[in-house]
Amino acid sequence: MLPYKDYFGVDDSLMQKLFSIALSRGGSYCDLFFEHTILNQITMEEGIVKQGEKAIGHGMGIRVVKGEGTGYAYTEEISFEKMKEAARTASAIADAKTNTAPVALASVPFTNRYPIEEPTTGTPLKKKIEWIEEAERAAHEYDPRIVKVSVSLADDLSTVQIATSGGAILRDVRPMLRFSVNVVAEANGNRQIGASSGGGRIGNEYFTLRISPREHGREAARQGILLLGAVDAPAGPMELILSHAESGVLLHETVGHPLEADFIRKGTSAYTNRVGHKVASNLVTVIDDGTIANDRGSINFDDEGTLSSSTVLIENGILRGYMHDRISATLFGVPPTGNGRRETYKFPPAPRMTVTYLANGASDPEEILRSTRRGIYCKSFRGGEVDISNGDFVFVPVEAYLVENGRITVPVKNLTIIGNGPDVLSKVTMVGSDLAISDGRWTCGKGQHVPVGVGLPTVKISEITVGGSEIGPRQGGTRP
Amino acid sequence: MTADEMKRFAERTVRSARASGAETAEVTVLERMEFAAEVRKGAIEKLIESVSSTIDIQLSVDRRKALVSSTDLSEESIAALITEGVELAKVMDRDEYFALPDAAELGAAGGDLGIFDADAHAIPAEKKIALAFELERNALRIDRRIIPDGSSFSNSARTISFANSLGFCDAYRRTSHTLALSCAVEDRPALGENIGKRQSSYWYSTAIRARDLEPVDEIASKAVSRTLRKIGARKPKTCEVPVVFDPEATRDLLESIANAASGGNIYRKSSFLVDRAGTQVGSPLVTIIDDALMPGRLGSRPFDYEGVRARRNVVFEKGLLKSYLLSSYQARKLGLKTTGNAGGISNLYIEPGPSAPREILASIDQGLYLMTLSGPGANWMTGDFSQGAQGFWIENGELSHPVDEFTLASSFPAMLSRVVMVGDDIDWRSPIAAPTIKIERMTLSGT
Repeated sequence: MLPYKDYFGVDDSLMQKLFSIALSRGGSYCDLFFEHTILNQITMEEGIVKQGEKAIGHGMGIRVVKGEGTGYAYTEEISFEKMKEAARTASAIADAKTNTAPVALASVPFTNRYPIEEPTTGTPLKKKIEWIEEAERAAHEYDPRIVKVSVSLADDLSTVQIATSGGAILRDVRPMLRFSVNVVAEANGNRQIGASSGGGRIGNEYFTLRISPREHGREAARQGILLLGAVDAPAGPMELILSHAESGVLLHETVGHPLEADFIRKGTSAYTNRVGHKVASNLVTVIDDGTIANDRGSINFDDEGTLSSSTVLIENGILRGYMHDRISATLFGVPPTGNGRRETYKFPPAPRMTVTYLANGASDPEEILRSTRRGIYCKSFRGGEVDISNGDFVFVPVEAYLVENGRITVPVKNLTIIGNGPDVLSKVTMVGSDLAISDGRWTCGKGQHVPVGVGLPTVKISEITVGGSEIGPRQGGTRP
Repeated sequence: MTADEMKRFAERTVRSARASGAETAEVTVLERMEFAAEVRKGAIEKLIESVSSTIDIQLSVDRRKALVSSTDLSEESIAALITEGVELAKVMDRDEYFALPDAAELGAAGGDLGIFDADAHAIPAEKKIALAFELERNALRIDRRIIPDGSSFSNSARTISFANSLGFCDAYRRTSHTLALSCAVEDRPALGENIGKRQSSYWYSTAIRARDLEPVDEIASKAVSRTLRKIGARKPKTCEVPVVFDPEATRDLLESIANAASGGNIYRKSSFLVDRAGTQVGSPLVTIIDDALMPGRLGSRPFDYEGVRARRNVVFEKGLLKSYLLSSYQARKLGLKTTGNAGGISNLYIEPGPSAPREILASIDQGLYLMTLSGPGANWMTGDFSQGAQGFWIENGELSHPVDEFTLASSFPAMLSRVVMVGDDIDWRSPIAAPTIKIERMTLSGT
């Protein structure tokens, strides 16, 4: 069953005509990206199921590439007239007169990375509302200090078709589920926020195989209540322990972005011309892998038709390669890595991460904690950001603790952690054996929003700057 | 579509929603023409040109709500969407607070807001591309160390039409033009592993009318000097310091305050401004206004996203929290009246003060001049504040050297009450506009 009729009602001969118009001015490559996305969302807040939403994104984009240049145009009316106009607009990136040979299209086989048992899109509304109410109840039941709870369930189903002037045609149906719970905890005028969310390219089996609505509700509430007892974080350099899974956000910012090859070809990344060089401690092996089953960041093929793959970026501290789209891969003379992604048909693709993780090390996570004299232990995060050029990155923990003499002592709040990518990678002194990939909740916002995954084993960094508000030798224990 | 065609389209859609069983319907149709040319190293890097449209249909049955939207404006697609929307609404819970705005609130503010440049379509693509090239050439002429990271000209023209089942229907158009330049330069840190370190910065000019853009040579020289000034940045010592916020940094702060003052976050109790209305939150130097009616400003509009007549609202007056920013629903939840802020702020700004930025610097012996904040650590929900930062060290009233890789921490209430100077230099390149400000002290975490 096709979720969208006739795959846009365009046949090979029509696409061939578009290619010949698009490449008529000397472009070297062209692709056509067709998309029909259905997004459903139901939100509950203040005890009522408040709003149901449905959004349809429908359109197609035509890209023409000439060297490092991109001509791009899109239309939401998938008619030959409108597409012809878009093809002409995109063709203007080149300015020669050429005759192109007709393109013969052949479909490319691929492995499905997101087999689904029970699709969420199409599930009766009544069932979806039951899950939402279950989570809401669980959050309130956890503790009477939970004063507000909001829950949302979003599912989308995106049908895409990509045809390239290289002769490939690929069609995919990409599902996505996201379930999230947000709470406000309040006591004596102190108000804190708790959250729990997850999902992936998975169906309703997510709730039985991974995390149930009830568990999400309880987790959000637990976090809110925990933060009611948190103290202001200390300021200054100290040791840092990153707990597994969620902390992968650090990797995404420190090495992920600077190894996206658009920054490399433009020469704005600190890792430009450094393949084969030592860029991190020996303990650091970093992989970007778009093939992990049912993950939020996985894709069968990227948004320019390259099959997804597993790419080793750093191996035992040595830089091995970058994440490429077609433009950078052609320029560097390497195969594309399946990282050419876009938010929707309104955007040309760019090199983006899929699921980025640090490979396992040999340390026992318990031992990592015991070895820490004074530091911060981070468990979950609000997000991060990096300045590609100077390598400065920040990330903001939500759940974090002070560690004193090998033991977790007290939860801390209001802290940003700041480091310099290359410096911090050389200060990775212990890597645990407990690699886990985060539950699907991350969206990367480099100009366009794309879903990504992150993963990490427990990691110790010997020194990093912790940006709390409390200065002094014994800070963090009490609050004035 | 013309604005009139879009109005009729929105009205027609309201009627079909009503005919399909919706008791109330509000329809927004948006059409956007966009053009962007980005050049780099003398070649076109990206050329994008398109027209896109979206329709949003908010409907209700027995105070049960659904929102459906689509970029496919074909009649059959919209008819199917309305049917689904009505079915979706029926299974929602009844929301006692939901209603359309009072009919008396609906309408367009009179007068010409000056937000549309009729010449926007007339500029030929060649001219726009040529401007982007000229901007880059200017930058490279200033200093050969510059690594160009994209010089661009972009413009857009938007038509927004809105109709609801109370019979309101109107439309307006707006344009914007932007010239922007990003560049990087190699830096050589004395210590550490950061071998390939670069510094980067940018400058841009944005205006409703193309002729109001800054000249390319000025944009180029600002972008280049902002980049070169960062060479040799080092990490400062952990301490408490007075902080001067550059207008762009103040704008980041104001953006968080806009979220905190938004009615949705107030009734959800997700804002540090909950229960603070009518109290002194900031120093007497802090006056914050949201004014939709300023001629020629980027956020001006005749009515908000639910057709409520736009207006001027004082959010903070001399530090006193006077008003939240409210839609009619949020207002009803809080027992207040709409402020015409459905869809958010219009032009939100901190009223400029009497001090020249130079005087503000001169008032500081040792301190920080803050250029950039980064990361999601501005928590306007709880009021906590801890963000990554870059800027310059101030010594004896002057900028001495660039600093990076440190954080600033405080809390929103503390920062607002510690505003001790406000500059006379408001920056209007965004609907959120702010001058230079000085905050008496914050915690800086570095070495």
